Amino acid sequence: MADLPATTVQRSQLARRMAVLMAFGFLALLAVGYAAVRVMQRNEVHTRLVEHTFRVENAVLDTRRLIEQSETARRGFMLMPSRIVTLNTFRRTQDELDRTLSRLGGLISDNPVQSRNLQSLRLQLANLTARRLRSIALVERGDQRGALMLFADDGEVRDLRTIRYLLDRMAAAERRLMTYRDQELRASERLFYAIIVFAGGLLAVVATISLVTILSYTRDIARSEEALQALNVGLEDMVAARTADLTRANDEIQRFAYIVSHDLRSPLVNVMGFTAELETAAGSLGALLDRVEADAPELASEEARLAAREDLPEAIGFIRASTQKMDRLINAILQLSRQGRRALTPEKIEVAAMVTQIGETLSHRLSEADATLSVEGELPMVVTDRFALDQILSNLIENAVKYLRPGVPGRITVSGRRERDRAVLIVRDNGRGIDPRDHQRVFDLFRRSGAQDRPGEGIGLATVRALVFRLGGTIDVASTLGQGAAFTLSLPLVLPHQEIAA
Amino acid sequence: MNAPQSVNIIMIEDDEGHARLIEKNIRRAGIMNAIRHFTDGTSALDYIFNDTSGPQLNGPALVLLDLNLPDMSGTDILARIKNSDGPVKRTPVVVLTTTDDSREIQRCYDLGANVYITKPVNYESFAQAIRQLGLFLSVIQVPDLGDERG
Repeated sequence: MADLPATTVQRSQLARRMAVLMAFGFLALLAVGYAAVRVMQRNEVHTRLVEHTFRVENAVLDTRRLIEQSETARRGFMLMPSRIVTLNTFRRTQDELDRTLSRLGGLISDNPVQSRNLQSLRLQLANLTARRLRSIALVERGDQRGALMLFADDGEVRDLRTIRYLLDRMAAAERRLMTYRDQELRASERLFYAIIVFAGGLLAVVATISLVTILSYTRDIARSEEALQALNVGLEDMVAARTADLTRANDEIQRFAYIVSHDLRSPLVNVMGFTAELETAAGSLGALLDRVEADAPELASEEARLAAREDLPEAIGFIRASTQKMDRLINAILQLSRQGRRALTPEKIEVAAMVTQIGETLSHRLSEADATLSVEGELPMVVTDRFALDQILSNLIENAVKYLRPGVPGRITVSGRRERDRAVLIVRDNGRGIDPRDHQRVFDLFRRSGAQDRPGEGIGLATVRALVFRLGGTIDVASTLGQGAAFTLSLPLVLPHQEIAA
Repeated sequence: MNAPQSVNIIMIEDDEGHARLIEKNIRRAGIMNAIRHFTDGTSALDYIFNDTSGPQLNGPALVLLDLNLPDMSGTDILARIKNSDGPVKRTPVVVLTTTDDSREIQRCYDLGANVYITKPVNYESFAQAIRQLGLFLSVIQVPDLGDERG
């Protein structure tokens, strides 16, 4: 028993511990989840930014290409003014350059540095374009020479250099931005990995601790279950052993009573037999004395006369009375012992009907004693041994009739009630009652109470008590001298079927 | 025909008083057959099976048997008699005892007892029962054991 409360304590401890471990596990999982979401978001943003950067770079490169292309087209036109295709190419690239610039402007509108760069670029480009358009116009007018003069101007070379420088700067700025963002991404990735590693470690630790705890707890449970089972088996064995002991003791008492009563009978046969022989012999002696008194009165002494006429018959009478009483007592013991050995057969019994039947059997004695027997109220139904219950109630009612107060009309009532799984029956009379000192004694074998003015051996109530015990019940008496008695019987409502006593 | 006089009565009864009362009342009933009295089972069995004048070797007999004996149970003697091979098997056995337990009575009849009588404590009825047993014995036919041997 000692290790059972310990297990309970351990159980609550375990629950707390498991809850804490689970909390840690969930926290770790949450952290991992959060980190994953964050990194995903970062990655997405970064990807968009990288794409943006590439688009900006692309636009910058396009711008550069278009500037160079338009330059090439202009130069080609200046060399060969007859080729309209070249002029068209110049115009188209010029248009495309405008579109590309506005595309670039849209892309970098959020970046003030690049916007400033673009602003300068646009100024420079406007310069360049104006110069180029002038030279184209000169060529169209046929002034090829004037156009070449204009082309040879240093200003144009400077402009172009500035433009290239600006474009480089823009590309470099974008590149720097990307490098910076890459670094940022890698840092956040590193953080994510760190979180994953930390959470994984935490999970592993939690899992290990949980596993160890559960394993040890399972072992404990198995151990305590084993202990409990052993205890149960022990208890069952103990109960079985006690029951066997009781049954054995009961059987022994029954056997003992049986043997004793039989062995007591054997010498009693002798006592009674030889008493009868003695009586016959005394009769012969008496007859002889009669003859002697008739024929020779002087031979008959007073002593012989006393012996034959008084002493012998008196002695024989006492011996007879005593042996007869002893025989009745032995028979009572035998009867008790037999009742103890009788197999009980539970059946449904209407107690009221049974009482009425007993009343009919005793009707002669009831009317003789000026007594009435009645059932008061409802009597509960019981399932018990019919013969035993009949014996119990008969004995109690017979006793009530037997010990009425002379001159007072007897009123014997049987009442009853149900108390949970027990039936309570009360046999009450208005007879002479029992001295409270004798309340327990009256149930003992051969014990009687009050004036010994009625025939009986003191067997009835002993039989009643033995039967009540056999039916799994209890019996009690409440009484004051001269005011009647009430015997209260408590029986199980349903007597379980029993194995037949060996 | 067997003359009743030739039948020996073997009485196995440990209580001397009972034996005396039984004998007296049998005699009162007018039965004059020889009565051999044994107070224990061992000597009684020895007489029945081994004595030259016993039923195994000489003449018919009738057994009066008490069940409560000091050295063995009366039912054992009954079983020995009824399970033997020789002429003793057919010897009538009257069980005369204080036990009136129905199981005991049944057991004795199962073992082959011919009559079961309970000794009443009331002497008058006891004496009467024994006298009636005497009358019963005077008319009972006992198998002639000699015929079988011859």
